[in-house]
This record gives sequence, C-alpha cells and structure tokens, in this order.
Amino acid sequence: MKILITILLICVPAFAQQIGNPTTQQGVIPARGVFAIRNARIVTVSGADIENGTVVIRDGKIEAVGTTVNVPAGAQSIDGRGLSVYPGMIDAGTNMGLVEVPQGANGTVDTSEVGELNPNAKAITAVNPHSAHIAVTRVEGITNTLTAPTGGLISGQAALINLLGTAPKEMAVVPQFALVINYPRVGFGGGGFGGFQAPPNLAETLSNNERQVEQIRKMLRDAEAYGRTLDAYEKDKTLPRPDRNVVLEPLVPYVRGEQPVIFRADREAEIRGALKFAEEMKLKPIILGGNDAWKVASLLKEKNVPVILTGVFSLPSREDDAYDILYENPAKLQQAGVRFAISTGDAGAEVRNLAQYAGMAAAFGLSKADAVKSVTLYPAQIMNVADRLGSIEPGKMANLVVTDGDLLEIRTRIRYLFIDGRPVVLTSRHTELNDAFKNRK
Amino acid sequence: MKKFLLLFVVLVAGSAVHAQPNETLIKNATVLTVTRGTLTNTDVLIRNGKIAGVGKNLTASANAQVIDATGKFVMPGIIDAHSHSMLDTINEGTLAVTSMVRTEDVLNPTDVDLYRGLAGGVTTLNLLHGSANPIGGLNSVVKIKYGRPASEFLFPGAMPGIKFALGENVKRSSSPNTPGVTRRYPNTRMGVEEVIRDAFTRARDYKRTWDEYRAASAKDKNLIPPRRDLQLEPLVEILEGRRYVHAHCYIASEILMLINLADEFGFKIKTFQHVLEGYKVAKEIAAHGAGASIFADSWGYKIEAYDAIPYNAAIMTRAGVVVSMNSDSDERARRLNIEAAKAMHWGDLTEEQALKLITLNPAIQLGIQERVGSIEVGKDADLAIWNAHPFSVYSRVDTTFVDGAVYFDRAQDLARRPELAKERATLEQAEPNKPPARGAQSPNTPRRRPTTRTDDEIDELEERP
Amino acid sequence: MPKVRPRLIVALCTLSLPLALICLCVNGEANAQRSAIDTYAITNARIVTVSGPVVERGTVVVRNGLIAAAGANVSAPPDARVIDGAGMTVYPGLIDSYTNLALPEPAAGPSPAGGGPGAFLLQQAQARPSPGGPNSTQPVGLQPEVMVEDSIRSTGNDIESSRNIGITTALSAPRSGIWMGQSALINLSGQTPQQMIVRSPVAMHVSFTPLRGSYPGSLMGVFAQLRQMMLDAQRYRDSIQIYERNPRGIRRPETDRSLAALVPVIEGRMPVIMLANSEREISRALDLAAEFKLRLIVAGGREADRVADRLAKQNVPVLLSLNLPRRTTAAMPEADPEPMRTLRDRVAAQQTAAKLVKAGVRFAFQSGSLANITDLMGNANRTIENGLTPADAVRAFTIWPAEIFGVANQLGSIEAGKIANLTVTRGDLFDRNSRVTHVFIDGRPVDLRPTTPAPGAGERPSGRGGLSGTWTLNVNLGQGDRGATLTLQQEGDRVTGSIAGVLGSGEISNASVSASDEVRFTASLNIEGQTKEATFTGTVSANEIRGTVAVVGLAPGSFTATRVRPN
Repeated sequence: MKILITILLICVPAFAQQIGNPTTQQGVIPARGVFAIRNARIVTVSGADIENGTVVIRDGKIEAVGTTVNVPAGAQSIDGRGLSVYPGMIDAGTNMGLVEVPQGANGTVDTSEVGELNPNAKAITAVNPHSAHIAVTRVEGITNTLTAPTGGLISGQAALINLLGTAPKEMAVVPQFALVINYPRVGFGGGGFGGFQAPPNLAETLSNNERQVEQIRKMLRDAEAYGRTLDAYEKDKTLPRPDRNVVLEPLVPYVRGEQPVIFRADREAEIRGALKFAEEMKLKPIILGGNDAWKVASLLKEKNVPVILTGVFSLPSREDDAYDILYENPAKLQQAGVRFAISTGDAGAEVRNLAQYAGMAAAFGLSKADAVKSVTLYPAQIMNVADRLGSIEPGKMANLVVTDGDLLEIRTRIRYLFIDGRPVVLTSRHTELNDAFKNRK
Repeated sequence: MKKFLLLFVVLVAGSAVHAQPNETLIKNATVLTVTRGTLTNTDVLIRNGKIAGVGKNLTASANAQVIDATGKFVMPGIIDAHSHSMLDTINEGTLAVTSMVRTEDVLNPTDVDLYRGLAGGVTTLNLLHGSANPIGGLNSVVKIKYGRPASEFLFPGAMPGIKFALGENVKRSSSPNTPGVTRRYPNTRMGVEEVIRDAFTRARDYKRTWDEYRAASAKDKNLIPPRRDLQLEPLVEILEGRRYVHAHCYIASEILMLINLADEFGFKIKTFQHVLEGYKVAKEIAAHGAGASIFADSWGYKIEAYDAIPYNAAIMTRAGVVVSMNSDSDERARRLNIEAAKAMHWGDLTEEQALKLITLNPAIQLGIQERVGSIEVGKDADLAIWNAHPFSVYSRVDTTFVDGAVYFDRAQDLARRPELAKERATLEQAEPNKPPARGAQSPNTPRRRPTTRTDDEIDELEERP
Repeated sequence: MPKVRPRLIVALCTLSLPLALICLCVNGEANAQRSAIDTYAITNARIVTVSGPVVERGTVVVRNGLIAAAGANVSAPPDARVIDGAGMTVYPGLIDSYTNLALPEPAAGPSPAGGGPGAFLLQQAQARPSPGGPNSTQPVGLQPEVMVEDSIRSTGNDIESSRNIGITTALSAPRSGIWMGQSALINLSGQTPQQMIVRSPVAMHVSFTPLRGSYPGSLMGVFAQLRQMMLDAQRYRDSIQIYERNPRGIRRPETDRSLAALVPVIEGRMPVIMLANSEREISRALDLAAEFKLRLIVAGGREADRVADRLAKQNVPVLLSLNLPRRTTAAMPEADPEPMRTLRDRVAAQQTAAKLVKAGVRFAFQSGSLANITDLMGNANRTIENGLTPADAVRAFTIWPAEIFGVANQLGSIEAGKIANLTVTRGDLFDRNSRVTHVFIDGRPVDLRPTTPAPGAGERPSGRGGLSGTWTLNVNLGQGDRGATLTLQQEGDRVTGSIAGVLGSGEISNASVSASDEVRFTASLNIEGQTKEATFTGTVSANEIRGTVAVVGLAPGSFTATRVRPN
C-alpha cells in the first residue's frame, strides 16, 4: 500500500497538487472552495457556447458564467486557454456501484433481490462508494449515473448519484428517484441469443406476460389502498390503526404519480404495453431500453413519455433490420419530438464509454449539439434535476468537465473534473496500474 | 408464382456482388496508408481486385467506376484478429484437446452480422474456436465476401492457426458441479499446463513414429502404417512452425507458463489473445516474439479481468510487441475504428500506431501482411471509404471494398430498403407464407450465436447446425 | 453370409449365385404361395408404365408376385381375378425414398397391458431395440455397423398410413446418430420383416448431429470424427490386407466391426446418404464426399437447387423432402414479422424439384417425416404447380428412386418381370380429388382402410405421448419461483422447443430425452439483466418434469414443468 501511495503522489497531475486532494482512492473527498476556470470555451448546453469565458465555482455550485465575470479574490484559478468546459455527463441506465465483478464473484453482485416484487429494495443502500468502477468512470467525464436494481418484475428503486463520495448519502443527488419495473418481455432486444425472432409460441408468452402484469397491477392497487388508509387514519384517528407495511409503503408516491416509474421495455409491444399500463394506473412512466421506440414515437410524443435509450450499440434486434437501425434511433426520436437520453445500459465497467454512444448517434443523423445534450441536459430533464444538473448555469451543481477538445471525441482528454464543486483527481484503479507497470523493465 | 421466382433472383443478385467494374478510381481522398503516412488529396486506383495506384491525379480507363471522395477518408479494410462470426458452432468442449476440429467445416456465409461488419469497414476476420479447452480447434482466416459461397471467403495463403486457451474458461470455473458427472480435467492452471505438455509430448512421439515408419517402409513393404491422428497432426505442424498458435489468456502467470512451455518444445506463440495482463509481462511477450490481440478497454467482467487496463495496447506496443485490437463480438466488430482510437486516448499511441492495431498488425499476426493491412500498390483492394476520419466518433463508412469489389455501400443500402419492403409484401401473400396453415414447421432459422463481448459467455454454448 | 429372401429371387439369379442358393429359393417360394389367389388382372385401365409411353386403355397382369404382362393388347388370363380398371390409372408402386418406417420407436415405454390374441406379438413388435451394435468399439451414434434390417417390424400404423396413399416401398433409414447405420429398402407388406426386405443394406447413413455430452459434442467435432473414422477404416483395411498376405511377424490387427462396416463406404461400393437441407449443409456433405471419394446421396435437400451445379458435377442424387415448409403461426400484432429469409425459403422450397430437373440433378421424392402423410401428394402437387412436369413427379416417386437405390431392375416401372408393386387410383395421382383404390405389393392386393387421423396426429405414438406439448415451467434459482412457458416438440428422439416468459424467450438447445425418461435441455435465460446459459436436467413422468437447473455462476436451482396442453 505504501508503494501505491508513493506512486500516486509522484504521478498525480500537477494541478491536483495545487487544488484538491490527491488521495481520493483512500476515501477522502476533496474540499469544496472557490474556483475559476478562465478563458475557456464554455459549452453551456442550455444556451449558446461562450468563447473565452469564465466559470466561477463556489461551495459546490456554479456561481457565475460568462465573458465578463469577475474572478473572486482567493479563487483557485485554472487557465482554460484552449480548453472547453462542459457539464458532466450523465448515464441514466446503469447498475453503477451495485456490482463489481459480475461473473464468478456473486458476493460482489447486489442487483437483484429474491422474488418478483421488491419495491422496497433501494439502490442507494447498496451502492459501493469504493467500487473501482466509480473512479474509472468519472475520469472520463461522467459525473452522474442513475443506478438501478434489475431483478424480478418490480426491481426496486433507482438512485441518482454523483460519482464521488465516501458514503452513499454523500453521493446521492436523488436517493429514491424512480421505481423500476421490468415490463414482461415478448422477445429479446438487440443482439442477444434468440434476438432475431419473437418466441414461436407468442400467444403463450403474451398470456403469461398478462399474468405477470396482473401481479404488478395487484401490488400497485394494494399500495394505493394502503396509502388511502394511512391518510384516512391520519385525518381521523378513531379509525382502526393500520399496520405499517414496509413493502407497500415506498410504493405510495409512485402510485400517486408523484415520482416516476421506469419501465424496462425494448420491443414495440412491450413499450406499448408499458404505456397502456402506466396510463391505466396513472403512473408517470419513463421507458428504459427503447430499441423499438422509434416505432412508437408518435405515441410517446403524444403521452409525453421520455425514453432512456440503452441500445445504441446493440446489434439490431431482427435479422432484416437495417444495419443502422439502432444508431438512428436517437435521431428519429429527436425528429419526432420525443424526449430521450442516451445511456450505455452497462452495469458499470463500460459506462465510461458513454460519449461514444452519443457520438455514434451523431454519426447517424443526430446533431452534434443534441448528441451532447443527450448525455447531459436531456437525462437531467428526464430525471427532474435540470435545475441542478445537465448544463452550465449559475446556481446549478458544479459538475463540470474541462476538456482539450470535443467532449464526445475519443481522442479528447479530460483535464479537470469537478463534482459537486469538488476538484476531482483524475486517477483510478487503471491509472494506478498503468503507473505501476508502464516502466517495468 | 413466376413473379416470386424473378423477384428472388433479382434480390439475391442485388445483395451479392454483381457486374463489378474491373477498375475503380477513388478521387481526391485523404488516404490513411498506414505504412506511408497520411496522404491528402490523393487518388487510389483499383484494378482487378488489387491496388494499382496511389497518388495524385491518377487516370483510369474509360469504363472505370470513378468515386469522388473529396472530404472523405480511405483506410485499409479492418482486420479483426478474434471473431466467432459466421460459425455455426464455436466450441467443441467435450475434450480438453480438440485440435482435430476445424472452424472451416462450420462456416455460415449468410450470417447477417457479416454485412453489419462490412458496414463498419471490416474486411477480414480471424475465426477462432472458443475457449472451452486448453487446445481448441483450427481457425479460419476469411475475407468477408458476403453473398458468396463459404469457400470463397477463405483467405488464400493465410497461415493456418489454432486456438489455445488458458485460465478460467478452461478450468470450467463457472460450470457448476453436476451430481454424477466427473469434472473435466483440468481444474487448475497447473492442470492446464500438463494437458498442453502431454499433447505436445504425444505429438513429438507421433512425428517420430511416422518418421521411423517412412524410413523403414522403404525397405519393408509389409509394415502396417501408424494410425493417422487428426488430433496430433496440427500439433506436429506447430512444432514444425507451419501453424500459428492463438492463445486465449488473461493473467500474467498463465502467459509466462505458456511462453516457457513453448520454449521447452521449441515452438512460438504467434498471438496471445485478450491477454488482459499483458502489460504486466510485456517484455517477456516481446522477448518470445509473440503478438498480442486485445480488447481496447474491457475489464472487470470476471475475476481474471479485474486487472485489465486500457493502457495495455500502449505499454505492450512500447515494449516491442505487435499488438492488434479485436472484437470477439459481432457487435463490437462494427466499431473497431473507435476501439483503436482508444489507444491514443489511453496511453498516447500515435495515430499511425493506433491505425496499425486494426490493419497491419493483425495482418502480421495472421500471416497475410503481404496481401492486406495497408494501402500500397500491389496489395489487395480491401479498403473502406469513410465520411470522416475513422478515429472520429462522428465517422461512418460509405463504401467497403473486398478484392476491389463493393460489398457494402451505404447509398445502395438506403436505396434498397423500399425494394425490400415491396418484396416482403409480395412474399407475405405467397401461399406457404399465409397464416396459419397445417404442415411442417418453418425452416429452422439458424440460431443466433450470442454476440457477447468475450469468449466467456459463449464458452458453454453449443448449437445445432 | 447373405440371407436369402423370397423376394430376391430375380436379383439373386441374375447375380448367378451358386445353385445351392437357388434351391433354397424354392423353399422360400413355397412360403409365398400361401394365398389362394395370386393371379390378378387389372383391365381397361390407363397404365402409366413410366418406362414407356402411357397406355390409355390396357391390362396389367400380376402373377406370382411379379408383373406378368402389361399393355393395350394384353388380356386377362383365365385363372386371374379380374379387377375392372375402367376409369382407373395404374402406376408403379410409389417409393418413399427416406423414412423410418417399420422401425420401432426409440423411446417407447412398456407396451400397453391387455391380453387378447396377438398381445404377445404386439409386445414383441414394440420391444425396444438394442441401442447399439453388440461389442461395438464405438459409442452409440458412431456405429456404422448398425443395420435397420436387424430391427424392422412388419406391423405398425405408419406402414398402413403410407400404403393408404399408394406407397408400396420405402427406404427405411436408421433414426439417429452420426454414423447412423445402414438402411434397407422394404416393401410395405409382409408377414415377417424378412419378407419385406427388397434390398439390404442399401446405403450408409450420416447425419451431422452432435452427440450429447460426449465427443463429438459439436458440429465441428462431427466432421472431425467422421474423418478420423474413415481414416481409421482405411488403415484397418490396409492392416488386414497386409496381415492376411503374410501374418508372420505382424501383430494381429484387432477386429473392429465399426471400421469394417466403413470399408465398402470408403471404397465407394456403398453409397452414403447424408442428411442435409440448407445450402451450407449440402456443401459440407459435398466437400466431405469429395475429400474421401464417397458415393454421396443427399437426403432432405431443401436448398439443393442452390448447389445444383456441384450436385450435377459430382453426380450426387437428392432424396428430396416433400415436407414443404409452411407458416404455422397465426398472425398477431405483437409478433415480429417473419424474417425475409424464412419467407423466401418457403416459396423457394416449392421450386426446388423443378430446378433440379433443369440442372440435371437426379432426385427422388421422400416424405421427410411429414406430420401427416396424407399431405404428401398435395405437396407433390405444389412442386408441379411450380414447374415440375407431372411425368417427372411420377418418376420421382418410382423409377428415379429405384435407379438411385440400384433396384431399377426390380422396381419403379410397369414392365414384365418386375416386382408387382402397383398403385391404382381413380383420377390422376396428383389430382386433389383422386383416390387410391388398390395397392398391390409383391403381387398381392393390400387392404386399404380409410385414414382416420389419430388424436394428436403427427405425433409419433410413444409410450407417454412424448414430450410434445405446452408446459408451465417454474424455475427457482434461489430467488423465488419464476414462471415461463415451455413448448416442446418431440419427433422420434429429437426434441426441440422454446421457452418464453420473464426469464426471456428463445429456442432451447441440446434437448434430449433418454430411455429412462431423463430430460435434458439448455436455454438462455435472462437473469439479472444478463443472458446466461441454463442447463435443465429432470425426470419426466406423464405430465410433469422435475429436476435441477444449472446456471453458470449461480448455485444450482430447481424446476418443475407441468403440461397444460398436449400439442
């Protein structure tokens, strides 16, 4: 360990020694403070790009943005000449921190609870702040992820987190953001085994799915009734006191449409089924997956339901699909006016490649500006945190990435990273191993 | 009914290569030659399947196809040194040594993922047996001649190869114990070494037996010849330097084990595949003369992948190892350009070094570097025209050539879509396609191989043809 | 030692066998004359001789099991039982060139209890065949020495159903294996198996179906093992020759029935019938045949037209399946459109026969395990609608298979001296409204019964109705039960199926059921968002399967499946 620390100390970029704490891997959060990034190109995302601008960060928040901003006295200053400042990227479809090694190390997997209906399973409880995935991901400019459980029919509740912190609570932006429901599948989405065809016994599948939807429906109705009973009792204590139920209780805000419900659904029939079910139950749906979303675009637009696309890099679901069918999915949704975000859909290890997913969408019809939005502002809007994340505006959380080029280009380097206004050292398990071995003779 | 027949013929022809011109002139492109730098405003002349000229203001004969590539980029066709595409079956996992099985026997030239690979600028694949056993089956190097019979895919003159595998897959780490079923040997990395040692010991004896027989049978015609053993013959070829070993491996210790074992028997490992911890033993790999064919940045999906880092390509390249970047996945094969660019992002390889990862270096690893891997006069016209620099995330392939013929063209692909929709409408009206009807099952559509990211997830899987 | 069969007299005589054998034949002849009447004449009929022009109005005389005469100027002998054939057409008996007819079901359970006359015989008839050759050096599935002749039975519903539609002769091929064994050409009537056999062995049979759980367990391994055994057979032959030349000083080669059975194959004396339908399967068969100079016959041949040039060049005939693919699923809005390839293939399959004729590829029709044999003529008719001439369609059921199997001197046309297998119809054979009125096999009329499709027609009657059906599957992988629907189809010992539900959807693979009712299959399940391979092993009893599930990376789980609906 001593050697590691020594190596770390030697290898930390120079700026980090000036600002921030070089020992993030040891679990100390770098301190907030006052920082100014000067003379940089500022890609605000929400507004026009600002050339030669300055961003001032104070106590975790963006204080000022513009060309005529005064740098406060005592601010730690970063020379941003030739650099660009972007809002941190957000991946709204991961299991970040819930799984370390998916194969052969079940002890590190915390994604799926026993049974089909687990609304009370909360991702924020199990997020491992010290997972190697977190630093590996953030040093590529991803500052936030939605971290969701995956199992059963009702998987649990997803958390929106900052990719920095020593405790889940410190990381949480929205600890219980959404309920996650796996809408029963009629076939596989992209790429996987059996991906070409719906099951030959589709009728059986559908009736089986209907039974599963009924299971979900029953639990949501129970939760609704449970909520009403509790409310009634609060108003009138002469009523019989209802027993508290830890499974139903967390469902109440979701069945009342106060918080969103994420439906995993890729195929057209699944998406339509989820939308219908959400309408019937008066839920606030978000589609996660969405490989066939372009086919359902007008309905999604009509119902104003957003989609978190995880399949941009998946192989087309069907043999006859055009080769670029999933590359073009974001552009088609954009044209149709459907709200969407681009996600890797990855458990953790490859979330760092989020920018390339957006880049591919831009190679196939999405504008470059929209591609950036699809991994910054759009996910923030979908997750109702656009007042805090997703763009560079005063008052927002200072989750910022300073690059030497286009945010989405793979050859671009991240030069500085701020999460929650804290300057993050750009080291990870991977840079450490690189440093340890690159000069082995 | 004749109508269907006609339509069918037209469409089959449409998807294959038809009436290709002998000459194609690509005008005014930025040419990434790989071996001679990046040439701007440059023409590439293709004649009879070969690159006939690279230079400014080239002229072609009157009936040549001329493509204006102003603002576009031409790069060599991408070579994927680790693929399981177009294989109807990937593993013969019943035995620890299956050098008698051949991927060439199970090629499926109609696999649509081949076309999707062409659309990503890929033209050559090294089709490898899976990683279920220490010594696996024989590989096939193919050019993606989608629409042609399987026999035309085989890359003439490519060095024969074989798959080896070490580590968790071979140990069957993920396989549960089944009551009443004896676990297959080996169960440890120790046993893996012994399986390979035993196989080569047998191969050496086999060769001696035949040599002795040949000598003796010249005098004595009444000798019963030794048995021909298809398992050992490829191993003899390895010992004689006539077959390349492509060894799947992950961790440093097993890499060193195989190097030592190969040294002991006097053969070379041509490539270590995946070799996630290659960066830890780069100098030993370089000293052995082995290449490395790796993922750009996959890591952490199992224990033996937990120390993988995306600086692997850079560290090994600097140590003198010939490194290639592979897909091991029909999905990833479509974007190997970006995978190669990652070596510039992580580890600061130069653009030329990064380009070589998916062109010349894999060509060297497969023994086809005289034919492909760079844009040079005399080489095969396997190349792709990109609308932007292929290392940009915003780039996309416009046209892919194999042996000078167009096998993918985005404009043609877009133009064909309405025709296909029309054909579908017609076909659905045909009597045998009308639902529902009594009779036989539909023809089995070939089952999808899972197109996952590593050997591991396909390790156990076997499908029917 | 060749066995002597009464029906082989002509063949044996022409082979000029020793006189002693001919004497034995006379004995056989006595057996064949048990029937009081053995002379028949069909008069005033249209005669499709196949070998010559159609006789619009003529007589066919059958005597002593053979065709005695046929033609316009033939008159009925005085001792003949006369059938007035006015309005009828006489064809040579139809040949189904690839079946498993007369072979016992492989996985049949115990015979139904019950006495009554014939129960003992019935039990014998349904006795389970021995799984492999005795004292074989090879595992089951790799035993080329297995002979259909040794296990056929003379009774069975399938035989009767085939006769009812006019089939008199069939190639009975082994059911399974890689080296499946050797087939027999049988007439579909006889008191004993021996009486039925026309020729045996006809061919060696090969399928590219991996073994389960042992080498070769993959398609690649199948080819490797086929090659290795043929190389071994070459060495076996050479070793024996060298040894027999001068055994002194040479260690005696071990005898090996499996390799011995391959010697006529590698020497091109015995044809090899390989099951191959798709273009690439046929190409692989052609490659292997070329590599070892085999006399190949392709069975199945659905896409044979796409390899027609090679088939013609290598002179490889095709036993073309008339199990024409059709859409079987109902239209549903939730369903994906079927792949274009599937749509094209279904249309193209109906055109294969005509294209083979055009390309000069020899072929014969076969029923290809049609679920319902009564669909056979209708499907033949589809190939006619798609360009095959009716005359060629008749040939593909008669003289062409006879030629391919080397029995054109005995079967396949209406000529004096040939075996009196005749199919008589009212109306044209391929006319939808035609009816088979008489079938003669070995000169004797066969009782035709109206076809009554048994309940669950298409299923082979196995002891427990097989695994076919829809099952409700419950899987417990330590996280509570998860439901899915399992659909299984069992055809012989071939099991296919699919799974659908929250665990994902897809086809199952490596499915099998053993004689001891052990069921195995693998399926890709969606577990925790990942696709994982699950191996199911269980025991079936009536309508329930119970067993364990093994998933890579997870603790073993359990499953139960309950049949909710037979197929």
